[in-house]
Amino acid sequence: MSDSMDEILLVFFQECDEQLQELERGLSALEGGETDHDTINAIFRAVHSIKGGAASFGLENLVRFAHIFETSLDALRSGRVQPTHDVIKILLKAMDVLSDLVTEAKGGAGVDAARVAESQTSLETLHAKEDAPDSADSLIPADFEPVAFDFTPVPIDFEPVPVSFDFGDEPTTEGGDGADTALPIQVTFCPHKALYERGDDARNLLIGLRDLAADAQGEAEIRCDVSHLPVLTEIEASEPCLSWCVVLPATVSEDSIHAVFDWVSDVCDITISRGTGSGPDDGGGAGKPQPEHSTPEDAVEPETDVNGVVAPEVEPVAAVGSPASFSAPLVVTEVQPPKIEPAGVKVNLAAPPAVSGQKGERGAVKKRVEQASIRVDLQRVDELMDLVGELVIAQATLETVGLQHDANSEQEMARRINSMRTLTRDIQNAVMAVRAQPVGSVFQRMQRVVREACSLAHKDVALVVEGEDTEVDRTLVEKLSDPLTHMLRNAVDHGVEAPEARLAAGKLEQGRILLSASHRSGRILITIQDDGAGINQARVLEIAVKRGIVAPDATLSEDEINNLIFAPGFSTASSVSDLSGRGVGMDVVKQAILGLGGRISITSVPGKGTTFCLSLPLTLAVLDGMLVMVAGTTMVVPVSSVVETLMVHKRDMYTMPDGRVVISIRGVCMPLLVLATELGLQEAKGYSIPEKAVILVVESETGARVALVVEDIKDQAQVVIKSMEKNYRQIPGVSAATILGDGSVSLILDVPALVASTTERADGRLAEPASGIAA
Amino acid sequence: MDKDVNTGETQLVKMIVFAVGEQEYCIPILSVREIRGLEKTTPLPFAPPYVCGAINLRGIILTVINLATYLNVAPEPENPRRVVVIIEASDGTVCGLLVDRVIDMADIKPSDIQVVAEKGHSLSGLVMIGERMIGVLKLDVIAHELINGMQAE
Repeated sequence: MSDSMDEILLVFFQECDEQLQELERGLSALEGGETDHDTINAIFRAVHSIKGGAASFGLENLVRFAHIFETSLDALRSGRVQPTHDVIKILLKAMDVLSDLVTEAKGGAGVDAARVAESQTSLETLHAKEDAPDSADSLIPADFEPVAFDFTPVPIDFEPVPVSFDFGDEPTTEGGDGADTALPIQVTFCPHKALYERGDDARNLLIGLRDLAADAQGEAEIRCDVSHLPVLTEIEASEPCLSWCVVLPATVSEDSIHAVFDWVSDVCDITISRGTGSGPDDGGGAGKPQPEHSTPEDAVEPETDVNGVVAPEVEPVAAVGSPASFSAPLVVTEVQPPKIEPAGVKVNLAAPPAVSGQKGERGAVKKRVEQASIRVDLQRVDELMDLVGELVIAQATLETVGLQHDANSEQEMARRINSMRTLTRDIQNAVMAVRAQPVGSVFQRMQRVVREACSLAHKDVALVVEGEDTEVDRTLVEKLSDPLTHMLRNAVDHGVEAPEARLAAGKLEQGRILLSASHRSGRILITIQDDGAGINQARVLEIAVKRGIVAPDATLSEDEINNLIFAPGFSTASSVSDLSGRGVGMDVVKQAILGLGGRISITSVPGKGTTFCLSLPLTLAVLDGMLVMVAGTTMVVPVSSVVETLMVHKRDMYTMPDGRVVISIRGVCMPLLVLATELGLQEAKGYSIPEKAVILVVESETGARVALVVEDIKDQAQVVIKSMEKNYRQIPGVSAATILGDGSVSLILDVPALVASTTERADGRLAEPASGIAA
Repeated sequence: MDKDVNTGETQLVKMIVFAVGEQEYCIPILSVREIRGLEKTTPLPFAPPYVCGAINLRGIILTVINLATYLNVAPEPENPRRVVVIIEASDGTVCGLLVDRVIDMADIKPSDIQVVAEKGHSLSGLVMIGERMIGVLKLDVIAHELINGMQAE
């Protein structure tokens, strides 16, 4: 049982994340001056959805805060509070707190109570400005415009208050003053077995009634009649035993009530009457008030009839009423929200949206494994499906051709195989499109990073985001988050100057960081550009010398100095701040980017700012490779790193005094690496470079070039990246492996590591294992 | 799957017995995935001497260990019965063991195993089957060494 609960909770948390994103988007829009009704409603809806869901799981901290947040937003929505800069700031802070509370509910780090309280207070000051009667109004949770319930795939419709047939829990009574004295409508509703067999649920109808009441600015009083409930041992799970009596405000029209029961009128008994007279099911009432069935107001108390016999079996009541949840005997209140699926397909790898809501033990929510599920545009899945259909046809035609033995069958075969190749590529692209995700989801999170960094560094920086629709592979999107966080924090802390310094330099007081993404020649390019002071090269060099990263007498080019900030243990900050300065930052960032098969470069203009460029592959699964022969085996060099291939005569090579060989290509000297000996596949002794050598000039992300001597260049092909590390260890100079057409294993060379080794190595062997491309 | 043959004292463990050079060894049969003929392996740079190279097992890349080199015994001369026993260690590592020939299966009582080495050694014990003395191999140790390169390098 707890497993299925965990799954539902997981779905809730996933939805929370989506709502938080929605909230972030809405608030950003608001910040950008879009103060129309739609934007504010979207924000409101997001908070409300989280609150509603949290309530059904009994996540009290979350509910409490969301409620206050919601109240403030309601003030905003009704125009009582204007979305000024300060107000938005409060809301943004509140959003961060809300998101932390969600994380806490997931089992993550606890939230600083002081922060919650602070945000709560500032929110309260917002809506405290309104008139008292108004605020009372906005406190009634059921009092929403219908719009708040639409288009949201989240369990928003559950409110613990109005539909409370909470047996164990003390009913909450907030806002319970909307009593309608003038002849309320009483609906008695007794579902038949057939109703449940259809997959309908009495609860949906009760929710419908409650919504009617909410529309009429009132509340529905719902009570459950358990008088027909047999003793536990005689309960037939599929037989409905419950009926409900609902008292609605007088303003609700009977027609609308009939409309609620439109679809089920043949499978249940309904009576609708004016006044609080007794319903048909109230036979032999002892009139004994049962706390288990109490509603916010016990005005119609005598109707609630409970035979004393039933009392011990009270707990399974809800389960009997709804056979779907019989496996959950502890369920006291169970209200399944109507699920409105969005246009896209939600590919949920687990967690069927099951029923129930459970009270108790909610505090002890364990930390869960991040669930792998993606939302995919239906059209993309359709495209993929079409292509797979094509593939089936192609395979059939290929078989037909294969069985023919006439003159032109060979030619025909070649033609078919060719079209099959095109198809395979199309399918590959289609699958990649399914896995692709806009980087916007990561970029959006960065707003918060910058905001928090600003408040810690006492700076005012605006993050401008461009190209958030750029799509990359999902694994990349996730792995980008940490490096980006680091770089943005750095940009705020080191890049952008303090406000006074900015004013003195004739810049706007508010700093600006541009985070942009775009596609460029099969790779994704992400730039982080700040308009700060730029890198102080003299200082960087000084620190690098002091920390022993470079020799004191070294002369370095501007680029080399800039790249020093990626060196391990480097930090320009004179003091360690909360944000950065421990000297692990950029080194880690670089490693992470390299690990993704990406490159990072940096340009800096003093006084104008610094730009970081990240270039990443679109996918981690496939790469274009050049197949080369090394020591009798085939190896793969990523085409992206090959600058040129050429034959070089031995007379163009020069042996340095230390034994290294350099080569001059059109006047440019670069070190020469014989791959076979470099990788230890051939004894270095006794190996001599042939008269005419096949050479691949490769380039690492730093721009350093190395010439690789190979035996032969065989082919160029797309290869599927397979990890070596799963069943073996990391091999220096090798990033991964692949399987060739003949089924044999071929190694993919790690060009950056090879290039680095020529400059770093001391004893002819590759130094440290470099980061590889994860398959 | 019980790979640690020192636990479960009373239960019989089915072992697969194979020969490497003169010596015979056994491993729990439940950790064997399949047995294949030796095919061409791709040499790996900087590999320890006992690693023959990598092979492709239906899309999974795994390394083949030459048990003779690993255990430091003289291998039989090239024979057609050489096979690769694909094993899976308890941590999920898959690798191949190149053995000279597979002999048979045997039910072994864990209590019959005479411990000859402390923990962390790949040859954990010896067991008698009839007159033959058979070494009991610890796959987890071998796999661990393969991944972390403890002994090699």
